[in-house]
Amino acid sequence: MKFYNIFILLLFSIISFAQPSHEVIEFKLSINHHYINVGEKHFTHATSDSISFDVIRFYISNVQFFYEEEFISSLEKKHHLVDLENPESLKINLGKNAQLDFNKIKFDLGIDSLTNVSGAFGGDLDPTNGMYWTWQSGYINFKLEGVTPSCPARKNSFQFHLGGYQSPFSNVQAVELDIADEKNIIIELPIDLLLEKINLTETYKIMSPNQPAVDLTKLIASLFSIAK
Amino acid sequence: MKLKFYFFIIVVFSCVAFCAEQISYFNPPEHFPQPAYNFSDNPLTKAKIELGRALFYDPILSSDNTISCASCHSPYNAFAHTDHDLSHGINDEIGTRNAPALFNLAWHKTFMWDGAINHLDMQALAPISHPKEMNESLKNVVGKLQNKNIYPSLFYQAFQDSIITGEHILKALSQFQLTLVSATSKYDEVKKELTQFSQQEKNGYLLFQKNCNSCHTEPLFSNQSFANNGLPIDTTLNDFGKWMVTKQSGDSLKFKIPTLRNLNFTHPYMHDGRFRKLNQVLNHYTKGISQSPTLAPELKNPIELTSNEKTDLIAFLLTLNDKKFVFDQKHQFPR
Repeated sequence: MKFYNIFILLLFSIISFAQPSHEVIEFKLSINHHYINVGEKHFTHATSDSISFDVIRFYISNVQFFYEEEFISSLEKKHHLVDLENPESLKINLGKNAQLDFNKIKFDLGIDSLTNVSGAFGGDLDPTNGMYWTWQSGYINFKLEGVTPSCPARKNSFQFHLGGYQSPFSNVQAVELDIADEKNIIIELPIDLLLEKINLTETYKIMSPNQPAVDLTKLIASLFSIAK
Repeated sequence: MKLKFYFFIIVVFSCVAFCAEQISYFNPPEHFPQPAYNFSDNPLTKAKIELGRALFYDPILSSDNTISCASCHSPYNAFAHTDHDLSHGINDEIGTRNAPALFNLAWHKTFMWDGAINHLDMQALAPISHPKEMNESLKNVVGKLQNKNIYPSLFYQAFQDSIITGEHILKALSQFQLTLVSATSKYDEVKKELTQFSQQEKNGYLLFQKNCNSCHTEPLFSNQSFANNGLPIDTTLNDFGKWMVTKQSGDSLKFKIPTLRNLNFTHPYMHDGRFRKLNQVLNHYTKGISQSPTLAPELKNPIELTSNEKTDLIAFLLTLNDKKFVFDQKHQFPR
């Protein structure tokens, strides 16, 4: 009887070792593959200049797990605010989903239109997080602010507040990533690739729902990748 | 089986109690349509309404603690700002639009003259943050309230949480504003068959139905949509209304159609407060329309009214004044 119990235990541990187990999704906000630190000077090849970031903050919504295109599960918490300044927010615990077998993850960058028109919410959606416009209703999906000497704006500051839920400038963007067996999934957002595509000497301020905001959010959504 | 039955009874009773509470704080008359506000997302309670009322009258919402919501939305003016054509905010700053009256907000799907705000809960963010109104941030308001002795306990009573959040501030403000229902004017009494219009008012009512009702639709006296009512542009303001928000050319010069209730208390009129008297408003519609591509189709041909008809129409419009609402103690400064 005792031997039988041990056998079962052994069998389970083998199974659990064999199963891929993803425990955490971590966001790595990077420049030239290095982690970005708030306010710290980094180098950008795009303008061969120093650059620092005061705010990188964005919403990840509707995280869903798939195996070979088949829907497996989704995260219970619908909206997650990722904030460079808050290290806790860079990690999403998978909870009960950790044991599931999946090889694809899908999520939205931004907040859907229904949530945008449904009044006040708390937690990550509380308007005190600085991710809600005040002069016009709507969440800011992605916020990027910083300083680089080659930016011609006042105090060399660039500011991107990208949002909008109404046609024709609705800009929530879908992201799809294939993942392998890593224990922790690290989703990298290489800001250096973004800086190569936008020229901060010419484009340094977008703060309303408009076509440039949609284009830029699409570009950012395409840059997410799984860090190897 | 018996247990199940008792459980069922308890559930039914609590539902009835819950609904009864909703009805007692928000009970529009039968001639009103279904409200747009989703009360199930923010069910009214006495503690939340009273918290919202305290916040509405507290200048702590502004950066130098001088301006409250009631500074520009005075209860004695049906929550508008009589005699100020443009809104008057912090440090005597003057805004670009007339402060609208606040009542029957549960029926609105959009807010502001240009519709920039999509939900009553989010409305308060705009004046709190505007540099010419209250010049404050909601985040700072949270901090100030948390440190003012009465508020943590008021928030606890309302939300069972003494940690103050932006969400709770906004929801409490909504609750108080949802209770501002103006439905006890002479017009409403006539609809309830409690009284009758005079002959002059009756004439005015017929003229109203013929010439005004398509936009200022009964019983709220607005269809809540946006229209260009042919006002010539004030070049000191260059306000293009809804276009400023949507950037769609078809929205140029369109403003939210305001209600005609409580006109006695809410003058001056129009988005920029350009008319001080009702007869100036009527004269605009009969001979002042400025033609432009987005002009409301109803106004393409001028409205024709004789001077007697104007007098009758104004007599009807005055039946929309709701003194009972304006002087209702329960909406006024909390004591």
